Amino acid sequence: MPATDSSSSSSSSSSPAHHTSFGRSILSLRHHGFPPTPDHSHSTDDREIDAFQRHAADLLLDLLHSDAPEILSLHWTRHLLDSFLICLEEFRSVLFAHAHAAALARAPLDRLLADFFDRAVKALDLCNALRDGLDLLRHCRKHLAIAAAALAPSPAGAAQLGEGQIRRARKALTDLTILMLDDKDAGGGQRNRSFGRAPKDGHQGRGHHRRSSSGSGSGSGSGSGSGSGFRSLSWSVSRSWSASRQLQAIGGNLPVPRPHDVASTGGLASAVYTMAAVLFVTAWALVAAIPCQDRGLHAHFTVPRTGGFPWAGPVTALYDRVLDESKNKDRKHSPGLLKEIHQIERCSRHLMEVTDAAHFPLDHDKEAEVQGAAHELVQVCETLKDGLDPLERQVREMFHRIVRTRTEILDCLSRPNANTTE
Amino acid sequence: MERIPIPIAMLPQKSSSFSQATVREEKLGRNLSLGAIKLTEHIERVKKDAEDAAAAASDKDKDKDVAAGSAEGDAADAAGDGETPAPPPHEEPSLAELSAEVDDFLASRDGDAPLSISEVTLDRFASAVEVEIAQSEDDEDKWAPGEDGEQPPLLAAIRRIATLASALTASGGNNGAEGAVRYTIGVHRVTGVLHRAMTFVEDEFHELLEDPLVAKISHATDPGSASAKAMRRPPSFGHAAGAEQDRCVIPSSEGSGGGGGAEASQPFPAETVERLRAMVDAMVAAGYETECTEVFLVARRNALDTALLSLGYEKASIDDVVKMAWEGLETEIGTWIKAFRHIVNVGLSAEHDLCARVFAGSNTHLGRDIFADLARCAMLKMLNFTEAVAMTKRAAEKLFKVLDMYEAIRDGAPIVDAYLSSYETPEKGGDSRSSSGAEALADLKSELVSVRARLGESAAAIFCDLESSIRADAGKQPVPGGAVHPLTRYLMNYLKYVCEYKNTLEQVFREHHRPDSDDAPGHDSESSNPFAAQLMEVMELLHDNLEAKSRLYKDLALSSIFLMNNGRYMLQKIRGSPEINAVVGEAWARKRSTDLRQYHKNYQRETWGRVLNVLRDDGGITVKGHVQKPVLKERFKQFNAAMDEIQRTQGAWVVSDEQLQSELRVSIAAVIVPAYRSFLGRFAQHFTAGRQTEKYIKLSGEDLEGIIEELFEGNAVSMTRRRN
Repeated sequence: MPATDSSSSSSSSSSPAHHTSFGRSILSLRHHGFPPTPDHSHSTDDREIDAFQRHAADLLLDLLHSDAPEILSLHWTRHLLDSFLICLEEFRSVLFAHAHAAALARAPLDRLLADFFDRAVKALDLCNALRDGLDLLRHCRKHLAIAAAALAPSPAGAAQLGEGQIRRARKALTDLTILMLDDKDAGGGQRNRSFGRAPKDGHQGRGHHRRSSSGSGSGSGSGSGSGSGFRSLSWSVSRSWSASRQLQAIGGNLPVPRPHDVASTGGLASAVYTMAAVLFVTAWALVAAIPCQDRGLHAHFTVPRTGGFPWAGPVTALYDRVLDESKNKDRKHSPGLLKEIHQIERCSRHLMEVTDAAHFPLDHDKEAEVQGAAHELVQVCETLKDGLDPLERQVREMFHRIVRTRTEILDCLSRPNANTTE
Repeated sequence: MERIPIPIAMLPQKSSSFSQATVREEKLGRNLSLGAIKLTEHIERVKKDAEDAAAAASDKDKDKDVAAGSAEGDAADAAGDGETPAPPPHEEPSLAELSAEVDDFLASRDGDAPLSISEVTLDRFASAVEVEIAQSEDDEDKWAPGEDGEQPPLLAAIRRIATLASALTASGGNNGAEGAVRYTIGVHRVTGVLHRAMTFVEDEFHELLEDPLVAKISHATDPGSASAKAMRRPPSFGHAAGAEQDRCVIPSSEGSGGGGGAEASQPFPAETVERLRAMVDAMVAAGYETECTEVFLVARRNALDTALLSLGYEKASIDDVVKMAWEGLETEIGTWIKAFRHIVNVGLSAEHDLCARVFAGSNTHLGRDIFADLARCAMLKMLNFTEAVAMTKRAAEKLFKVLDMYEAIRDGAPIVDAYLSSYETPEKGGDSRSSSGAEALADLKSELVSVRARLGESAAAIFCDLESSIRADAGKQPVPGGAVHPLTRYLMNYLKYVCEYKNTLEQVFREHHRPDSDDAPGHDSESSNPFAAQLMEVMELLHDNLEAKSRLYKDLALSSIFLMNNGRYMLQKIRGSPEINAVVGEAWARKRSTDLRQYHKNYQRETWGRVLNVLRDDGGITVKGHVQKPVLKERFKQFNAAMDEIQRTQGAWVVSDEQLQSELRVSIAAVIVPAYRSFLGRFAQHFTAGRQTEKYIKLSGEDLEGIIEELFEGNAVSMTRRRN
């Protein structure tokens, strides 16, 4: 299929952020190297579709493997996205390798594909929301960086931490907490910006004032009525949008292909089902990991164990692992399950505790303790700095790839209709 | 060095190096000085505020605060006298004197004989700065530059304490280390005040940044609430803030340092910008640049968001847009285009300008990064909608809106490119920093490229879909009277409109159209202008389609009329629009004209050729000089019958184009009327006048002209009436 091959290579090179990080799958490489034999006997079809499904299973298994990066870490999330993108690419080439346009448009495959892309469109909004979430984390990082810089030992290491530095760090961490809590508590009562937890010296009126202003929300001036503090960032999705609902729409009532459909589509019905499941579980894990609007993991998803889908086990295992993580007690109120968010919370809480009721000048132990906490902070900062941008680009890539694949396939679906009337 | 544990809450209390009494006096003195002017009138309120605010805090804290409050009350006439023995009240060293002392200390650090500075001086200086801040709280001009363009005294004080703090905490050689050891208490005192000063500046900075437009909206929706007050005066230094709690109406002119009534795009008058810049300078000098840029970035992001909202643009999810009915979406697209063009042409440059003016000098790189981030963020939000529109189901009527969007994106790209290229030539020394801004803009640029391609592909695909919709139009029912087919009418008007987007479409086809494998070969020769090729393809298809439709007519003459009508309509539309004419070209129009003439000839031959044959003396009427009367009678009968038939049928045919109608009539008359007149002239005499003449000669030359004049009226009724 020379036409398919050339279009696939041109489309990926035209992508704004072309990823070379994940190689082309074996399958698509094969299609690139030389055209498959012209006789599309069913057995070849079946073999390639099986290979696609098995590869999807392997990719998901890799994510759960003990060698894999810690689950729901930035690193792991990037792996997850890589795996998704590989699956999508293979799915695309399986479709094009097997089905001539006319075959794609034939029932029931046309219906199955239309259903799949309906779900995929919902994943696009999710990508945008996730991008906002990553943006939020980027701002969090800035507050962390402030705290880290404030507590950084001076070059010669001779000076001690002063009251100002400690207060500055605490203020940055308080701002950070508000930023992360954002919509949940509307920041009310949390805001006590510059003065640890004990206002003093008649500045009481000030702290009070701040609280009342942030509590009522429109101090943000954003006009969005978000009820969040003036630092809060606006989302790119509308206010009524809900990640939780979106997840349900992506994974809800995903039809298991009937044996009859599988047979009549030459196995492609299974490939569509596979892709939909991978899409769901990816979206599920991303929503779990990254802050986004109305994040909730209520969507249920099951794959029949008896359906002979090699990826059923890995998908379910991944789903369960993420679900388990979300049930973890100290993560329940987190804006995201991302390990790094946990680290942010942990080390900023630690620092707040260490510096709470500090006595100046700090004694050596205290100073060491603060420096230790600050060191953790610096490390989280570094991880975020290195990981957020690539992850955001990948989320964007996911967006573009879904759009492109959808356009290509829907084009195919609409074209033969016109031709048949000739 | 002894360490005295000092809880943060009690920090301003001094170490034991001062006598207990001194400590108290110092503290009272500071408290007094913080609120010196208004203290007596506000003392009760302060106490109350303290209690209110402490509700959330622990009881212990609350007690402490109340205690502090009452201590202030006691201190109303107790002047702090520091350590100099019994100076008169209020005769502590002035800020100016203290500043001079600090300056000397700072200056000496670079020299051979560094001066030392006493804890007391440090403390007094810190306190004096606090006083300065508290006193200028209500001063509208606190950030205004002093006379002779000097920096405002408040900023000078803040800068000095920042420099002092860094001198005390830094370890620049022996002095620094020594400083840290020797002035421990002073360090905490100085850095503590510095931090509070910075927090104060940050709040003020944010307040000043609030867009007057935003403030206005906020007021409208939320009048008199605590938040509206916060717009004007966020929590700030000193007691005065407490007084604000009772205010309800805020004069808008105060909100932004006299910036009320300014345009949304240029919200900041020069003096506000001046003040913002002074604050930025102070914050950056004290090492608070991240706080500073964060506040600025978030405030402007929200302001841009609000600006978008006020332009009517609301965020919609892709899912919703894809499902939206076209009528609704069409309106949304209009709004989007307006908003997008505004942001690109006005909003960005205003933000760019603001960033450049507020972050000037050595802070330029900060402003550049902020602008890049702002631009990226605001634009990406808008592009979501574009992506969504490009994903909606394709339909012919969407073409023009998609092209409008395409043009908006296309026209916006060079503006972003221009910003980007200004980033790619970084100012010296700013390389590493400017790269993050360049990256954001490069990211934005690639998103613009991608979304533009998506729109372009969509537009090209919609236009190409015309082919299939023409093919699909294969009705078996001929249009009555051979009139212009609705398909012709629709398509030609559509194409005329399409050609008003000619330049854009040519670009779209050149840049974004991937020819489908199935129709690629035919296009290669004309690849120089694939749009024109596609348009011609459509015209040819229409032509073929019409020829096929013409075969639905059983009457060949009517078939020709149908082709003439439709061909004429196409030609008229092409000639009537310079744009479409330019694409289609004169050669094509000539060819079509030739076709039309051929149809005309076909019609003439088909209808009138037969009639002429009746009138021709082909050797049957006159034989050897003798007129054969029976033949002549038969000819007249035939002629009358033919005219009867023609009048009946062709009077009902439709040629709505007046020119074509008259051309047809003229050409018919030119052929048939003279022939008939001459026929009459030659043979009428052979009938006997009266009955015979009446029987065979039913039409005069004028009658014939009259009949011809009423052909193609599409009106059968008038014919029959006339016949009778």
